[in-house]
Amino acid sequence: MSFLTRIVGKSTSFSGIRLMSVYPQHYVEPIVQKDKQIEQKDELTKLHHIPIKAALNKSSDTVFHDDTKEKLLNYITKKGNSALARTLLSKAFELIKRTQTERLNLAKGDKDKVITNAEVLLKQAVENCRPLLQVTAIKRGGVTYQVPVPITTKRSYFLAMKWLLEAAREKERKVSLPEKLAWEILDAAHGQGRVVKRKDDLHRQCEANRAYAHYRWS
Amino acid sequence: MRVPGALFAARGRAPQSESDVPFQEILPLRLKNTVSGKADSGSDVACLQEMGQLFACLKDNEFTEKYCSKEINQFQRCFKCYMDRKLEAKKTVNQGIVQPGSNLNYKQLNKYMRRYPNPV
Repeated sequence: MSFLTRIVGKSTSFSGIRLMSVYPQHYVEPIVQKDKQIEQKDELTKLHHIPIKAALNKSSDTVFHDDTKEKLLNYITKKGNSALARTLLSKAFELIKRTQTERLNLAKGDKDKVITNAEVLLKQAVENCRPLLQVTAIKRGGVTYQVPVPITTKRSYFLAMKWLLEAAREKERKVSLPEKLAWEILDAAHGQGRVVKRKDDLHRQCEANRAYAHYRWS
Repeated sequence: MRVPGALFAARGRAPQSESDVPFQEILPLRLKNTVSGKADSGSDVACLQEMGQLFACLKDNEFTEKYCSKEINQFQRCFKCYMDRKLEAKKTVNQGIVQPGSNLNYKQLNKYMRRYPNPV
């Protein structure tokens, strides 16, 4: 679907719902990345007379930008101190890089298999930790059942990152968060560790409660 | 002369005077001009069969996901399809275009009934 049809569809489908957004519905999302702008040049020329939302304050067009990383940064942040969160994550990345480089140097023979890119490892870890299902409590006849339900992609990413961070925060006082987070990420990226086990446990629980799956109704 | 009690019983109890018990209309005795949209939300149960297949595969392979990629894909596609359909249905309801026919959703029904309300 091209941009124009999308806009026309949006503006004609007027409904009585009030949206919470600052922008009216016919405003278009901005595209910040230069290469994407060049890629979609033909479609973007159609937007000459159509209002575009302002770009977010944090959005940028650097090679260091990564959506997963940005999301994780938001989850690490406490009390709005995102500067601290950024230093913590970059420290964790540094530790990952160091350990992986050490492994690379120690590895005999197959040196291509050792990934030293921390961001790639983070993405792998998050992918390995994503659950497929979830249990919700549903009350039926005075008894609360744990019913397995499918979850959206977005929520599965959220849960994976939340679990990673929870595992990293469960540590002794002397261990720093970057250290523990680096270990958890490395473990999860290789398909082991506590977070992957937690996901498996959830799947096991879902499987055990599969008889209640049809209780979903609300 | 004593009248036996059985005679009174055979006649039955005398009806109460209506003025003693005036009629109270606790709830209005006519239908409302609106319907609630609760029934239109539909059942939330979807992809049960796919879920069963996924569970069977996961159990066979001791919860190793890489051996069940086919089942996982099927399950996720099914759920995505279901969510898309739900969103589409919600959109059409919110558009509220009134069309002739008997198969109406609650918003359309409410529009009709606002146009032609019950005579008071």
